[in-house]
Amino acid sequence: MKIIACIKQVPDSEAKVKAEGGQVSWGDAPLVINPFDEYAVEGALQQKEISGGTVTALCVGPESAKEALKHALAMGADEAVLVSDATLNDLDTVGAAKVLAAAIQKIGGADMVVFGRQTLDNGAGLTPAQTARVLGWPMLGLAGQIKVDGGSVQVERVLEEGRQSMKANLPAVLSVVQSIGEPRYPSFMGIRKASKATIPVWSLSDIGASAPAPIVTRTELMNPPAQETATEMITGETPAEIAEKLADKIIAEKVL
Amino acid sequence: MLTLVEKILFVIATLVSLYFTYRGVMKIVGHISSGQGKVDWSLIWKRIGDLIVKVGLFQPVFRFRLGPSILHGLIGWGFLSFLLINLADLIYAYTGFKLLNNTGLFGDVYRLIADVANVAIVGGILAMVFRRFILRPATLSTRDTTLLNPKARTGIMRDSAIVATFIFIHNTMRFLGESFGLALAGHADSWQPSISAVSQLWAGVDANVLVAGEHIAFWLSIGAVVAFLPYFPYSKHIHLFFAPLNFALKPERKSIGELSYINLDDQSIEQFGAAKMKDLGWEQIMDSYACIMCFRCQEVCPAYNTGKLLSPAALEINKRYHFNNGGTSDVPMLDLISEEAVWACTSCGACVDICPVGNEPMRDILDIRRNLSMMESAFPKQLETAFKGMERNQNPWNVSQGDRMKWAEGMSVPTIEQNAEPEILWWVGCAPATDARAQKTAQAFAKILNTAGVNYAVLGKNESCTGDSARRAGREDIFFGLATQNVEILNEVAPKRIVTTCPHCLHTIKNEYPAFGGNYQVIHHTQLINELVGAGKISMNLEGDNMKVTFHDPCYLGRHNKIMDAPRDGLKSAGIETVEMPRNGAKSFCCGAGGAQMWKEEEEGTTRVNSTRFAEAKSTGADTVAVGCPFCLTMMTDASKADGDSMQVKDVAEIVAERMK
Repeated sequence: MKIIACIKQVPDSEAKVKAEGGQVSWGDAPLVINPFDEYAVEGALQQKEISGGTVTALCVGPESAKEALKHALAMGADEAVLVSDATLNDLDTVGAAKVLAAAIQKIGGADMVVFGRQTLDNGAGLTPAQTARVLGWPMLGLAGQIKVDGGSVQVERVLEEGRQSMKANLPAVLSVVQSIGEPRYPSFMGIRKASKATIPVWSLSDIGASAPAPIVTRTELMNPPAQETATEMITGETPAEIAEKLADKIIAEKVL
Repeated sequence: MLTLVEKILFVIATLVSLYFTYRGVMKIVGHISSGQGKVDWSLIWKRIGDLIVKVGLFQPVFRFRLGPSILHGLIGWGFLSFLLINLADLIYAYTGFKLLNNTGLFGDVYRLIADVANVAIVGGILAMVFRRFILRPATLSTRDTTLLNPKARTGIMRDSAIVATFIFIHNTMRFLGESFGLALAGHADSWQPSISAVSQLWAGVDANVLVAGEHIAFWLSIGAVVAFLPYFPYSKHIHLFFAPLNFALKPERKSIGELSYINLDDQSIEQFGAAKMKDLGWEQIMDSYACIMCFRCQEVCPAYNTGKLLSPAALEINKRYHFNNGGTSDVPMLDLISEEAVWACTSCGACVDICPVGNEPMRDILDIRRNLSMMESAFPKQLETAFKGMERNQNPWNVSQGDRMKWAEGMSVPTIEQNAEPEILWWVGCAPATDARAQKTAQAFAKILNTAGVNYAVLGKNESCTGDSARRAGREDIFFGLATQNVEILNEVAPKRIVTTCPHCLHTIKNEYPAFGGNYQVIHHTQLINELVGAGKISMNLEGDNMKVTFHDPCYLGRHNKIMDAPRDGLKSAGIETVEMPRNGAKSFCCGAGGAQMWKEEEEGTTRVNSTRFAEAKSTGADTVAVGCPFCLTMMTDASKADGDSMQVKDVAEIVAERMK
């Protein structure tokens, strides 16, 4: 089975992201593979282990995103492809879907394309479905379990209301959630192999696509309002006295 | 003295014995040279003084178990003097010439030494036999749960019995032979009082009987040596050759905990760490031959003492018995020590420190971890979080580097950008920079530095983890990355001196970064505090509350880096009364956090390392445990909490800062 895991590079979850002059800034925090996409790679590798075949990690992003792809290779992906083009600075989710779909076709198609449920930076969670739309393939979102049976795939979707089983014919696009299983920690030998790998970089012309014009644009970016916090120690002779003072305070401050 | 027939027979017996001994020795040489690395023979000359103390005076033996060490001294020194005595006996047997009766005062004194040595050896060995076979202390064996070669369980006792029998026969017979000689000569020798006394017993015995007795005594004493020699290479007794070789040839280490360098940029390396015995250094294989199976390392091991599966002694014994049973060094290390035992080690170094023959079981264990972590990716799952933190955010707490100076908010702590040429660079360490409790140590130390007006700076966001935990968990690749990066930054800053608030940082920067091209003068914060007190830069209010403090020596401060007085002096200058725990200084007992244990649960045992140590601290009657390490701070604080907050736990810097005027 041929599986493609789509990943993105994002600032580390520990990064302090803020707006600076209308632009997003994460300081000098490291860039890492989108944590949700680690589940996508894990899900893809699990399917490979069951059915055999290959896993290709696919990423659209700047040259630096090779590091995120190397993480996927270190986890066990067989190949990695980066689509990078100077014209791809302002991608919205539809644009990303178009580029990804073109790259998937260029790779030669796949039996299954796996995404994480969303990205850590933009967090729209739309790209998987939009990619499926561009490819014209069925979309099975929020899969917690995947089971391939011949030419079809059955997933158990993890929803707020409960669980739902769905089935579709392959090829299909899937997005996965945490219950797929904890992403495997790359072994040193995997990291070593990945560090030696050469990752092909495709431009838009390589995949026969043109730069998609954004249909959604960001007009303003603001930091969340700063919250002023202050600490006040309440003292008293006895615990009862302290409790009484505290209760008065809480009522006075209209907390309760 | 000997007849011609006897002379010929003795030569034949000796040649046969030497042939079989040679075969045994060559096997050992083969096993040892199958290890990694090369012998540097020039080390011997540099270490002459050290060898006299260690081999001539048995200094490492006397550091532990004083009673048995004295017995060992009687036998060991006795045998050292016997080297010449046996030679003289041999010359006499072949020529009738008594060397020690014809060399003036030297010979006279040496005969006295021989007389005393003879009695001392027999007395010593009988006492040792009594201890091992009658008293049977538990410290001379290991628990049934320890992975120990089944043949070793009885083999060690049998080996001891054979050696004791040999020593007893060799020496009593030599003694009797001399007494027969004196009786034949018909006069006592005032330089050999005990032998003379015994020779009185043979007064009136027929001369022919005495001559026969002399011959029999020769064959049983020197003959015992000839008979014993081929067994020697299979006996633990061969420690008397390999212990000196260990001391003479062990590659130089900056500290007992300095691990070997691996160049991760070298793509040709195929094997990281020790999967098999042959992946160990040659000197680590030699350890198994130096091992006298005394189990001292096991007796001081924090893992073994808290019921874990680890016994460093069993590892060395298993290596040795594997060879004795005909095995080669092509054996998986996990056949010789269980995986659980490997992960129970706290890398406290107590086993290496206490070993009377200079063995390094801890080094084997950490080499095995390298193989498990790097080649097999088989390490305790809980370590992943720390590894990821070090990989992504350069610290095991996975705190953003942007938050690294948060501890200093509201204080004036200059970064290297603000003070480019400080007198001393303060390496804060990940724990004091990011851990809520340890931050108080950093704040206290900053207060001390600021009060004393020290010209210092910190690296701030440019400071990363030294990689200690990664290295001791076997992830040399993570350590390599961090060490390379840190050395680059430090060399750019070119600090005159570095002070650390963590012994693990101190150890790594001081002892392990030189391999990466980083050579710095590094001191611990308690040392700087002492300097500041000595220079009158800070003074203490000595009329505070009367704290009674016991100082817990962090392994990587005391045992690994021999800094033991500084923290105590620091407390003393603050007017604090300190009391010592039974195990202190170089013999301090681990808190349980070293060797990357900080980042995982303890392996299964009967009790926890930190609670064991805490109970010891409490037994002193002190109200406060002082520490000098953020890991110890965490472990002792946890133990105190579990004990109903029965003691305060504070860093020396905190105590000093509180009392500073």
